[in-house]
Amino acid sequence: MGSVPGRAKRLESAISICLLAILSLIGVGVFIKQFNYNMSRYGIDTTAIPKLETQNSKFEIPFELSSLVPAGFEMLSKAEVYNSENLYEKINGKAPLYTESGFEELFTQRFISTGDPNQWMELYVYDMGTLRNAFSVYGVQKRADSEAFPSMQFAYKSGNALYFVHGKYYIELVGSSESDELFKAIAEIARKIGTNLAVDPNAGIAELSFFPQENLVPDSFKLYLVNAFGFEKLTNIFTARYKVGNETITAFIGKRADLKEAEAIAESYRNFLIENGAVIKSTTNKTLEGKVMDFYGETEIVFTTGPFVAGIHEAENQQAAEKLAEILINRLNSANNE
Amino acid sequence: MNEQSNKKLNRRQLLTRAGKAGISIAVAGAVSYLLYDAKGPKAGVEDEKRVTLKDFSIQHRPGQTMSIAKGPDRVKTVDKAIELLGGIERFVRPGETVAIKPNAAFASPPILGATANPELVAEVVRLCYSRGKAKKVIVTDNPINDPASCFTLSGIGKAASAAGAEVVLPKAHLFKLTTLPEGRLIKNWPIFFEPFRKIDKLIGIAPIKNHHRAGASMTMKNWYGLLGGRRNIFHQDINTIIAELAMMVRPTLIILDGTEVMITNGPTGGSISDLRRANTLIASTDCVAADSYGCTLLDLKVSDLPYLAKAEKAGVGTTDYETLKPIFATIS
Repeated sequence: MGSVPGRAKRLESAISICLLAILSLIGVGVFIKQFNYNMSRYGIDTTAIPKLETQNSKFEIPFELSSLVPAGFEMLSKAEVYNSENLYEKINGKAPLYTESGFEELFTQRFISTGDPNQWMELYVYDMGTLRNAFSVYGVQKRADSEAFPSMQFAYKSGNALYFVHGKYYIELVGSSESDELFKAIAEIARKIGTNLAVDPNAGIAELSFFPQENLVPDSFKLYLVNAFGFEKLTNIFTARYKVGNETITAFIGKRADLKEAEAIAESYRNFLIENGAVIKSTTNKTLEGKVMDFYGETEIVFTTGPFVAGIHEAENQQAAEKLAEILINRLNSANNE
Repeated sequence: MNEQSNKKLNRRQLLTRAGKAGISIAVAGAVSYLLYDAKGPKAGVEDEKRVTLKDFSIQHRPGQTMSIAKGPDRVKTVDKAIELLGGIERFVRPGETVAIKPNAAFASPPILGATANPELVAEVVRLCYSRGKAKKVIVTDNPINDPASCFTLSGIGKAASAAGAEVVLPKAHLFKLTTLPEGRLIKNWPIFFEPFRKIDKLIGIAPIKNHHRAGASMTMKNWYGLLGGRRNIFHQDINTIIAELAMMVRPTLIILDGTEVMITNGPTGGSISDLRRANTLIASTDCVAADSYGCTLLDLKVSDLPYLAKAEKAGVGTTDYETLKPIFATIS
């Protein structure tokens, strides 16, 4: 029997051993991997699973809690802190509203009346990172029956609760009942927060001043950070409501880097509306030609001026919508010249 | 021999090597075939360690599947709604153990309507004892917030205890892994199981609420409270998980409370102005039908809540609740 020379045999043996070793490693890898339940195979994105170590927040409560306790009340239970990964443990399905708007941390604390255990409240301090983010979650949740709360720019009372924006914080004070005594305590905490919780004094929202004042429904501003009116490219859009006759009309403004970018957004939003059933309407207003649309019986107007994309949303009356659009254009033109 | 001849194989060597290679391939193939598991991995969980919730539903009774009682007083409307379905005696037999699963998700006051109304829960407990002659009634949930705080601050714990129920708070050892065979998401997932292991009947009680993610939270969404683990990941596919929960849990009776409906800012609400009085309470053995009716109180259509169609397709119930000929009553 012929033999393979020793050198070639050793080479073949070495290659074989290498291949077997690789196969063994693959086998071990498969064996280990099979015990890991791959949830993505079932449509679940496992990157969304919070990591345990993040449960221990490093959030520092930005004020002395004891300084907030109103007269006749004491703290009830421990303070709680949540981050973007465990916020759902506090507010469940409402968490995305915050996490998609720049949410950083939530701090909560309950207070209870020393005389009546049925009178208690919970303080929610959402750190939204910026004033704009805080204003956004404040605006989109604003209750229809809100009553203005004096001495604060963005604040309202609604039944048993008080909601306000303080710098980058969106704050809720929710009472267990609708009683005057409880609301006095809620108001006291709000005032103390205004005094004790330091915020950037220079932060402001310039866009709000671009809305015309005539017929403006007081404190009706909202900010949609994303997906305004169901169109995903329509970001950072401010809205305000106007009372024109018996009708309430919504006007909107969004500032872009320049005219070109504003026109591109306006064009794509108009196309989005047309793709979804809107039809261009004729108008006697030359400035608005090609920009007024009928959308299932309601008027939509989308235009640009300077870096602003702006318009009217869901107006019942075309004439009133065009009139408000014209006022808005003039106001934005003035802003462009300032 | 020279270098070239060293590399040549003779016929014997070639056949020997080919034979060895063939045997190796055959052995590898045979071993692979024997080890092949067509069903896929079991994620390290043995079948016998998994649990399955019992089917607590009762026999269908035509014309008595759904009742709708109108009125402002929950105690009166729930009494009437259950009476119209044949009375609590139809659902609870003497000596039975009943579990009531209210929505106790949040540590918030009853005034907000984010949780099941405590008076309503207490009345159902009383009915189980007084007319159903139940041996024992437990009230339990696995809330989102701290369980003790939820049962305390929502008022459910005190009301249920006062009515004679045992309130069971979730503990780690009460959770077991389950798999819904027809499910896509519920696979080897921990559920709040032990309180339901030895019960005879199961009653769900939920308020009607707007839900930022799901559109609405009603009786089907109420079963979310049985999920353990990092259940928030299912919010990515909220319609499927709600439908699967409805497939997994087969209750005896469900009560959907639309006396006050949370129309905005759900599921937590926060202000009483998030609520709208609808003075409606629904009792049913068909959770899909009940929720389909319930969504109308939120000014929604069945098509606005895709989980309803999914559950219907899975055979859980019907979205066309009118075919059940719901029994209406108004209580002044």
